[in-house]
Amino acid sequence: MTNSRTHIAFVAPAIILMLVILIFPVFVAATLSFTDYSLGNKTFNWVSWENYEALLKRSSYKKMFSASLTYVFIVVPFSVVLGLGSALLLSSLRFGSEIYKTIFFLPVMATLLAMAIAWEFTVDPIIGVANATLKSGCEVKWFYSLMTGSWRGGEPLDSWYGLGCVEGMPNWLGDRKLALGTISFIGVWQAFGFNMVLYLAGLTAVPRELYNAAQMDGADTAWKRFRLVTWPMLGPSHVFVVTITSIRSFQVFDTVEALTQGGPSKATYVMVYAMFEKGIKQNLVGIGSAITIVFLAFVLILTLTQVYFVNRRVHYS
Amino acid sequence: MNKSENWYSEFSKHMILLFGTIIVILPFYLMLSFSFKSPAEIQSISGGFFGNQALMTDNRCLKAGKSKEACTMRPVIYNYSAAFSEAPLLRYLLNGVIVTLSIFFIQVIVALPCAYALAKLKFWGRDVVFGLVIFCLLIPVHAIALPLYLMLAKVGLTNTYASLVIPWTISVFGIFLMRQFFKTVPDDLIDAARMDGMSEFSIVWTVMLPTAIPALLAFGIFSVVAHWNDYFWPRVVITGDRDLMTPPLGLRMFKSDMDGNEYGPMMAAATVIVAPLVVAFLLAQRRFIEGITLTGMK
Repeated sequence: MTNSRTHIAFVAPAIILMLVILIFPVFVAATLSFTDYSLGNKTFNWVSWENYEALLKRSSYKKMFSASLTYVFIVVPFSVVLGLGSALLLSSLRFGSEIYKTIFFLPVMATLLAMAIAWEFTVDPIIGVANATLKSGCEVKWFYSLMTGSWRGGEPLDSWYGLGCVEGMPNWLGDRKLALGTISFIGVWQAFGFNMVLYLAGLTAVPRELYNAAQMDGADTAWKRFRLVTWPMLGPSHVFVVTITSIRSFQVFDTVEALTQGGPSKATYVMVYAMFEKGIKQNLVGIGSAITIVFLAFVLILTLTQVYFVNRRVHYS
Repeated sequence: MNKSENWYSEFSKHMILLFGTIIVILPFYLMLSFSFKSPAEIQSISGGFFGNQALMTDNRCLKAGKSKEACTMRPVIYNYSAAFSEAPLLRYLLNGVIVTLSIFFIQVIVALPCAYALAKLKFWGRDVVFGLVIFCLLIPVHAIALPLYLMLAKVGLTNTYASLVIPWTISVFGIFLMRQFFKTVPDDLIDAARMDGMSEFSIVWTVMLPTAIPALLAFGIFSVVAHWNDYFWPRVVITGDRDLMTPPLGLRMFKSDMDGNEYGPMMAAATVIVAPLVVAFLLAQRRFIEGITLTGMK
């Protein structure tokens, strides 16, 4: 069989497709990032590092990096902590854990674009239930004092909620200061169920005896057992969950394109959206390619960090 | 710990989880509720979950010159019929099915023989090919989108079914996954097949394929879910032709065309698009969770 040539027929289609669809485009993007090419133009000029300099200097690209990084730094910690928290809660339940697991996984399955629009209507200033609920809370004394902080002696009108009761509740997607937070909230909503399932799988791999042993050694509270046993034993899950979530967060596009188009005033101008807007919508291929290459660098750094940690064996087996 | 303390902690855990459930369910609840209610009820945030279902008159239908009786209906009927008539929703759904199934089909045809060769055949350069597969796993889709779009535009393939399918024909993850799976298939099985005079080609499709059904099913769920829900790539290559739009892209067009009071029909369309996967997920939960997390490295 070693003499047969069948293996060529078996691997050739895959190799050709890999080279044409995956490898070659990366070189194309790298090359075009040093040009001022536009689709439809016959010729183009080499502009050396001009596109990359623009990325570093122009304020709209500074906003782009800041939006993407802020999004990642909000979504990753929140969805990881919520994922781990709900996994721990579910694994300690006596009944009902399967139902919660199903519900929390629903956002992972559902078409994000459709759900983004549903969220948009939820937080809409006019027809949204979110603000309607907050508004009706203004009349409820205990809720009002809790939200404004007046129960501990704060001045109600100094808090956003007290102000909202008087001047109208915030416009979650239309306000420059809130839009990125709202988009990140949808990101967390979508991602934490995925992390929860990964952590649940990680938890089943923790040997029961370790908890008994830890208890005998004096870990008498649940928190101590968590810190001594669960947390370190979840090492491989942590690495996987954190890198996957970061990579996915860098790729956020659907919610931004459908709800804010990068606005208001570039507050949600994340990298993939910027790449789409510059490179494809405005046909500024050079700058779009430069964004592509920087994006690729970010993702590669994250992936290689993961590989490094996995090879160092962050697990205790 | 005594019994009542135990129940107290169980109760508080359920309280926390119920609060989470409300937030997670909220957009699904509103999507369904909007798809039932009349424009007036949506505007005034009233009518509960299902609305009053008072008869309403469709002004657009009147303008089209139809009788008043023909244009009067329950809001739920209005929303869902408008979803299918204002936009070619049926066409979008059909496109979604065509695109996702062709992608999965081609991925299997390309990946399976390659995975078999990498797992079970010895040939010069095998490690190089496997290295290439691993290397390609590192390349995120968004990083090749722009150049790939330019390449497709150069050969005049944008706004075609082909452009929706081509970038996904190669799934390095599929190759990797199937290779790992084939490694576990005993060599005796293949040797026996060879003794019977089977060609390598028929070994792949009649011996290896049936053993790989569980792995293939997990991969299939992953692939179909990812491409049914994908919005980014269709948004890039389909720029005007509505007849080629996939469900998420069609819904997006619906949104940008919306004039005023179309929340109901739009959420009806959203419900129709989200429903197939959610229902399938509820029916075969374990398999879906397996398929999506197992392949989570993409």
